[in-house]
Amino acid sequence: MSELTTIEKVGLYGGAALLLLGTVGMGLIEILLGAPHPVSGEGQVVHETLFSLSLRSYTILLGLLLMAAYGVSNLATKPPRDTSI
Amino acid sequence: MVTNIQTQLLGRDVSFPVEESRFAYWLVVMRLIVGWWFLHAGLDKFLAWPFDASWFVGGAAAQTSLGPIVTLFADGALLSFTNVMVPLGQTLIGLGLIVGALTRLAAFFGAFLMTFFYFINGETGGWAHGVITGDLLGLLIFAMIATLGAGRVLGVDAYLAKTSFVKNHPRLRYFIG
Repeated sequence: MSELTTIEKVGLYGGAALLLLGTVGMGLIEILLGAPHPVSGEGQVVHETLFSLSLRSYTILLGLLLMAAYGVSNLATKPPRDTSI
Repeated sequence: MVTNIQTQLLGRDVSFPVEESRFAYWLVVMRLIVGWWFLHAGLDKFLAWPFDASWFVGGAAAQTSLGPIVTLFADGALLSFTNVMVPLGQTLIGLGLIVGALTRLAAFFGAFLMTFFYFINGETGGWAHGVITGDLLGLLIFAMIATLGAGRVLGVDAYLAKTSFVKNHPRLRYFIG
């Protein structure tokens, strides 16, 4: 992974960072600073969130898109280095 | 047998040993379970034909982050296309994973479909059980199968890789493996 170009680093590291930010990062802040999430009688978590749910959605979506963009650009620009297959 | 995976991450040496037999075993187990998940989902729709995806690509999905894309497929010829391609895609993805043929291509399209399922199911349900759902984990397992090339273990791809056609077209290795 050391020979990644800058663009590839943005796709791989940036994508993973956004995916982790939208899931773990914002989730952790919600737990530490946010309102409690009581569970309703139907077993559903009642959301009173610090971060809007659409912000979390878009953060995760952007992360996945960056990772996918890395995969597609990798496919388009060079043959796989694994020559065992 | 133990192999040392020599690699770097974020500029640091993160080499680590992997026990090969367990690695191969785990790849096959993951592939078969995820493969059957999708093969079953696809066949189920064919057995209960006709399949109508309008409830998924129209209606509540319009308010989700993927709404502008999926609502294009909510009626007319594109809905008919979706009604065929979802069960056909699920069936082929499932078959591909189970027999290990064109595994990376199948896993890519599996992750592609899971992206729609994850955001539309999650957002229409108000992320009632949090943003880590079974759909996201499914998506990540497809990505893992594609990354590791799980089809080479007890799969048709091990044979496809040895054909002269693949050897003459090295980029095809991105679709098998």
